[in-house]
This record gives sequence, C-alpha cells and structure tokens, in this order.
Amino acid sequence: MLSSNAEKIYWLSRYIERAENTARLVNVNFDLLLDIPHDSVSDFIHLVEITSDLEQFNSILLDEKMFYSSSVSAMKNVVLNFVIYNSDNLGSITYSLEMAKYNSRYLRTMLPKTAWEQFNKLHSEFSLSNEENHNTEVLHQIIRNSKTFFATISDAMHRDHVFDFIKLGRFIERADMLSRIIEDQILRKDTKIPKYYENLQWMSILKSVNGFESFKKINKGELRRSNVLDFMVKLKEFPRSIIFCINRLIAVTKYLPNSENLKLKLIQIKKQAAKLNEKSTDKQILAILDLLQLGLIDLHLEIEKKFFNRSPI
Amino acid sequence: MYFKLTYFIGIIIAPLELKMNKTFSYQSSIFFDEYIDSKSSPRKGYKRSIDFFHSLSPSERVHYTNLCESSISSMGVTFQLDANELQDRSWPLDLIPRIIASNQWRLIQKGLIQRVKALNYFINDVYNKQVFLEKNPVLKELILESSNFLPECMGITPKNKVWSNICGTDLIRDDKGKFFVLEDNLRVPSGVAYMLENRNIMKRVIPDLFNSYAVNPIDDYPSQLFKCLGEASFNTNANKKIVVLTPGVFNSAYFEHSYLAQQMGVELVEASDLYVSRSNNVLMKTINGPKKIDVIYRRIDDVFIDPKVWRKDSSLGIPGIYNAWKNKKIAIVNAPGSGVADDKAVYAFVPKMIKFFLKEEPIISQVKTYVCAFKKDLNYVTNNIEKLVLKPVNESGGYGILIGPQSSKSELKKYKSKILNNPRNFVAQPLIKLSTSPTLINKKIMPRHLDLRPFILSGKNSFVTQGGLTRVAMKKNSTIVNSSQGGGSKDTWIAD
Repeated sequence: MLSSNAEKIYWLSRYIERAENTARLVNVNFDLLLDIPHDSVSDFIHLVEITSDLEQFNSILLDEKMFYSSSVSAMKNVVLNFVIYNSDNLGSITYSLEMAKYNSRYLRTMLPKTAWEQFNKLHSEFSLSNEENHNTEVLHQIIRNSKTFFATISDAMHRDHVFDFIKLGRFIERADMLSRIIEDQILRKDTKIPKYYENLQWMSILKSVNGFESFKKINKGELRRSNVLDFMVKLKEFPRSIIFCINRLIAVTKYLPNSENLKLKLIQIKKQAAKLNEKSTDKQILAILDLLQLGLIDLHLEIEKKFFNRSPI
Repeated sequence: MYFKLTYFIGIIIAPLELKMNKTFSYQSSIFFDEYIDSKSSPRKGYKRSIDFFHSLSPSERVHYTNLCESSISSMGVTFQLDANELQDRSWPLDLIPRIIASNQWRLIQKGLIQRVKALNYFINDVYNKQVFLEKNPVLKELILESSNFLPECMGITPKNKVWSNICGTDLIRDDKGKFFVLEDNLRVPSGVAYMLENRNIMKRVIPDLFNSYAVNPIDDYPSQLFKCLGEASFNTNANKKIVVLTPGVFNSAYFEHSYLAQQMGVELVEASDLYVSRSNNVLMKTINGPKKIDVIYRRIDDVFIDPKVWRKDSSLGIPGIYNAWKNKKIAIVNAPGSGVADDKAVYAFVPKMIKFFLKEEPIISQVKTYVCAFKKDLNYVTNNIEKLVLKPVNESGGYGILIGPQSSKSELKKYKSKILNNPRNFVAQPLIKLSTSPTLINKKIMPRHLDLRPFILSGKNSFVTQGGLTRVAMKKNSTIVNSSQGGGSKDTWIAD
C-alpha cells in the first residue's frame, strides 16, 4: 500500500470520527443547558475549550462586540456557529468534514462503493444545512451518517491495510477526544455551578459518549464521579472507553508491518490508564490524562514515521 | 418499409421542425448523416436503432434520459472543466449510438496501425539518425525549433522502438461519408475511460436494443493496456510493477487516471510517491518500505516529468527520473519527446512517412494540409483564408482555431497578420463538412456533428479499440466536440 494513501485513509477516518464526536458533544450540551437554570455562559464556552482554540474564539467575540456577560442565547449562537460552521476554526465540524472530503477524493477506488457514497451523503447533507437556523437535527444527521459510514466499512470491506488504517485513525481520534472531555469536566468543577448540577454534568458526559444506558446497567443507577471515570477510562467492554480504544489499536498492530514499537507504546498508554482508581485526586487524574494525551501524540508521530514517511530513506 | 422521416436536400441552417413529425423531426442537409441516406431511408444496419428511438413516446424519452443520467451519476462518471471548478460534472452521454459496420472498421484498424507504426519510426528517426529529416529540410527546421522536440532524448531508443505506446487518433467523415484522420494525439491522449463507461451505461439503459445488434465487445482494453505497458520495460523480471502517474485529484482527467489504475489493478501514484535511488532505480514509497517499479504510465506532460532536466518549476515530476529512463531502468509511457510528432505541421508529412518507412500507400486518407512554413502554401493560405480552417501548430483541445467561412472580415484580417508574423506557427486545411448523427437534444432528435477517437496500443504487437470514443458537438452547427468546451459523447458500436 502506498504511504500517501495510508496517510489519507488515516486522516479521512480521524476527521469523520472527529466530526461525529464534536456533533455529539455539542448536541449533549444543547440538552444540558435546558436543564441548568442559571445565566452563566460557561457551559457553552467549555465546548470551545474542548474542541477549539479559545483565543481564536475570543477574537471573534471581540469582532462581534460580545462579552462573556452577553445573554446566554446570543452567546449560544456564536458558540454554535464557531464549533459547527466556522471553517477557519480547525476544530469545527465544517473543517473536519472539508478535510475528510479532501482526503476522500483520492480514495474513491480504495473504499467500497457503498462507503464512498455514504461519505458523500454525510458531506453533502451537512453542506446543505442551514447556518442561521440552529437545530439539533443537523447534529443527529452527522452522527447517524458517520455511524453508517463506519458500519458500511466493517460490513462491506475486505480486511486489508486500508481497513487497518481506518481503524488506527478512528480509535486514536476517539481516545483523544475522550481524554479531553474528561479533562474538561474535572477542570470545570470550580465554576460557580451548584454541587447538585455536577451529577447532571456527568450524566450529560455519559450521554455524549453514548454510554448512559450501559453505565446504568453496570452501576445500578449510582452516579458518582469515580464510577463514571472508571467506566469511561477503564471499562474494556464499552466501545467508547479509552481502554477499549487502546485494545483495538493493539489488535490492529498485529496486521501492520514493523509495528513492534507501536505496540510497545500502546501498552505503555494502557498502563497509564490503569493507574486511575477510586482514590485518585483531581490532580492525579489530570496528570494521568496529560500523559495519556502525550502518549497519543507520540503514537501518531510513530505512525507518521513508520508508514507515512514522505522523504526518501 | 416507410419511415416518418423528413428528408430534404438543403442546408442545415433551415428550421428543423418544418414537417410536423414531432417525434423524429430530422432532416438531412449538405452533410453526410450516419443514420439516413440521401433517399430518405435508413442506412444499412441502422434500421433497428431508428425504429427504437422513433417508437419512443415523449415520456419514454424522458424516462430513458433520466435513467441514463442516474446511471452516470451513480457510477460516478465525472469530469472537470478546469481546476477552478471544484464540482465534478456528470459525463454527457447521448443515448443514440453510433454504428459502424465491422468490415469497414477492420480496414480502418489496419490503416491506424499502419499510421502509428510510421509515426513511431519517425519519432525514433528524429531522435537518432534523422534520415527522414535530411530528406525534408523544411520539416527538419520546423522540428528542431519546435518546443515539442526534446534534445535530451537524442540517442535514446525505447523498447521495441516505440515512443508513443498509446495513441488517440481523431477520425472524421466528410460529406461523402469517407473517413479521414484529423489529428494524432501521441502524448497523453484521454477519453478511453469514457469510452468504456459509455458502453456500461448503454448496456444498463437500453439492453434490448444493444442485444439486437452483435456489438463487438470493448472491455478488454484495460488488460490490453496492461500488457502493452509491461512490454515497454527493458527489465527482465516476470511480473512488471506498473503504476499510473497522475498530476493529482484536481486534474480534469483524474477520473480516467483512477479508473484505468483500478481496472488494471495497479497503483495510482503522484510524483511525491516516487523517488529515484542512487543506482537509478525508481522506487515507490509504501507502508512496507520502498518498492521498485518498472513502468510508469504517465498522465502528465513530458516536460513536467523531471524538474532536473526540463521544467525546473515542476512539482509534478520526479527529480532524476530522466537518468533512470535513459539507463533503461524504468519505462516511461508514452516516452518523453513523443510529442514531437503531435505537431500539426508534422501531420502534413505522415503520408510521406508511411511511404518512406513502410514502403506502403496510406490506407486512411487525411485532410489536405497547407504548412505555412512553405512559401507556396503560405501564399495559397493568405489568398484563400476565407475558405480555410486555420490552426496553430502547437495547440490542442480546439483552442486557437479559426474557421474561415464562419469568420468576419476583421477576424480574418487579424488572423492573417498573425500568420504572416510567424508563418511556421500555422497550418491551414479546407473546411471538411463533418458528418452528422441524430442526437437527443431536449427530448428532440436533431442532427449534430461528430468525430471519433479510437485508441491504438503499440508494443510488441499493435491493438486498436473496437470503435472508440465518439464525441459530438451538442450545439447546433457547431463542430467543436471537445468535452472541455461543452461537447457530448456517444457509444460507438462496431457491428455486423
């Protein structure tokens, strides 16, 4: 397989997964805001913090002559436009899907036809959505179409390296996004939101990873921070836990050439994640998440070096 | 046998809906029509097709057109007008097939093989002994000054002495129905993927009509191409590693590049996927490390292929590949420098070449061509400019052409001074009355002009496609068939 194609496949997959994750996150926060009766805009600002560059956002606020004290509904629109539609924002859904589109143009002959068509549907339906009239349907659409895309891949594609790089991209992206969501929630604790609402927030986080029902099944309705963390980081049976992602990545390395180093790095990351336990303090959790994220970046660099290397050896 | 065809001997500019036959309001003209003869009856072999399209009600016509369009879009057959246009366009295919009798085609195939053989000998001669050029000093001068002549290719002989392994020769028919060669595309001819896809679409959309003819199949082209490419390599390994080199996804022919790569089961690469090692091997970067390749089917212009030798600003090329090619480590198809015979002035000399290199008479005629570099020809051209079609020698795609009889006095005057300024740069030909064929235009059947591009493969042996890509001018009276300028296409049936 051509290195350049491997790279494009990997990024196609990452960007689609990223768009889906962002859509989930935005969607859940949309819901949450309806439940929290306060006039703070922080719940929306943290969406910016997880997905995008806060400084870039602040400069947009300046341009629009808006402040953090502006009304929630006005702020809501600016934030949503920024994380969904602003193509200058490298963390926006638009940007992810445009990059996915760019990569996909090269991959027409490498993907199953049904998957290729499904991706085009995802892209064109989103392109047709209306920036002015915010509703959550466009987000649901992205989630649905992305799920269908990956389902088509696993259903219709023969298992070759194309498939392996789709998995690599998808699970690295997912693990990265999970770690950011958790990190953000921990950091957010010191805002002025009453203690009571903290549970609501954890609940919304579980929803954002599609895990609320599974969580309830396992924890019999008991919603505590340590339970949620354990669930999202360490539960190897849940497809949106960090450990699940890492295990999938380890499984892929079996099929890739010269991947011993990659596997070692993954095992290191897994060890980091396992350190998390009930007694971990905020500081310890943040340190672990930090190392996890650095590990994922390192992983990406290793993949780049081994497989995408652009300069002649 | 009676057809509700209205047939007039007259001029094409007359209104087409004179007689109230709404379904087939189709009249003849001074042009040769491929479907109907001068006695208002369908030509031999065309009856079934005429009957079929004639019998369609307006709503059926809409149905078939829609079916055709949706097949095209779901099969993803697209092209781009230019790099600035991000949206791909659906390929324009006209449902009414063009039909050519197979015995007639066999003769054309022979003629094409003869022609391309002579042209390949000619290119090899240009870059080696120049015997033919010595005998034709005006041509020699033109060649040595031509930008298509690459001095760096001197002394090189590709495998089997073939420079243009893949040639697309454009054929037209005149008002008597006789076939002529209009031009030879010896560099990077395109269109073959559309020829193949046109057939697939037709089989899907009108299987019954298709079935009623014994149409010669065309779908072995990719395997013939694969074989031809393998034969271009000097390497002795059994399984030649072949790649298709594309300038990238924004090239107007990218669909064809990826289509051919996929159909042959080879990698589609860009220059950045390849590099040349110190030992002059050409390597491809893969996730398993570098892999040696034997043949590059290049779909970029030759001067872009090595920035160390030709266009220094080229980012589409592979530095050092010229040396690898010169040392026979890699085959480049078509060979760099083959464009030297693509020139419209060279075209005028092809009959001479056939006689000189093959000691044969040309099987297919070509259009009388005045080369303005000759004093005599220049005189004739300047005195008869209003009767002629004028062409710059180095343009393709129909650009820069002036059609004398359809131009105003001031246009002619301007063009004349352009010619006088630089006579070498121009050739002229009499206006050929291009043949027409019925074509579906807005649910009506109208006569439209067309040409035909068969593809000729040369390696150890030669191969000619069964038919080729028929291109049709969609605008009334237009003779510009290039898809880049709004032309359409037809499936071409070679049948008994």
